Amino acid sequence: MPTVSVTVAKDVTEKIKAPRAIFLPWPMGHHFGVPFHASLQRRVLLEALYLLESAQVSGTIRDVNVKWADVRREAKTLTDQGGKL
Amino acid sequence: MTEANSSLADPRETGTQLRPGLWQTVNERYPGSMIEKDRFVPLAELRKPLSKARLTLISSCGVHAKTDSSLDVCHPFGDFRFRRVPSRLRHQDLIIHQLKYPHDDADVDINVIFPIERLQELASKGVLGGLTENFFSFIGYNMDPEKFERTVAHDIAEAVVTEERADAALLAPA
Repeated sequence: MPTVSVTVAKDVTEKIKAPRAIFLPWPMGHHFGVPFHASLQRRVLLEALYLLESAQVSGTIRDVNVKWADVRREAKTLTDQGGKL
Repeated sequence: MTEANSSLADPRETGTQLRPGLWQTVNERYPGSMIEKDRFVPLAELRKPLSKARLTLISSCGVHAKTDSSLDVCHPFGDFRFRRVPSRLRHQDLIIHQLKYPHDDADVDINVIFPIERLQELASKGVLGGLTENFFSFIGYNMDPEKFERTVAHDIAEAVVTEERADAALLAPA
């Protein structure tokens, strides 16, 4: 069964030796971002699905370079606007 | 940046793991509770395009339908059961029972940890061929990883293959 994992703990994923994973430098419980940020949640999914198709070697961990500070700033904008990004 | 400065850098700004050394920390606190494998499993290839593939979602986030009984969050060794989560459900149909990670934001929008509505959208747009009828969730906290593999992991894997006929699985450890 082809699998792809979404992790915020790269060291744990390395120990487990998952076949494919994307790593996000985000807190536990926030693997797909922040509430109502649908475009960011979708982006994480698409990054994972892309790796599902493209990985050539078992143990591939691909970094998704989106800083948590930037996510929080976007979340604040979202809250201030009272809408959904 | 010097080594001293690097160690003081805010990981939220540098884009590094926010909680470094998590495996070691948990394994020291709960000896033997963390999984470590000696070798990689062979890479299973996706045998059809995503647009024709049926995807399942498996998460340790402890989410389940509000109509189902909750998992046991208080047992000292963990709850070695899982819940099927119908993939057609929406945020308001679901609830989280888990004590080991912050889920305040996921309580507001379940897609933060269990992106069920985003997956429904990708399937309806044809990015995915479809979703399995059920997704799967369990409580990640447990003190016996070997028993976990024999029970929860084995039973979910069997259901994913024989009942749900998934072509691929998205794993979301919480």
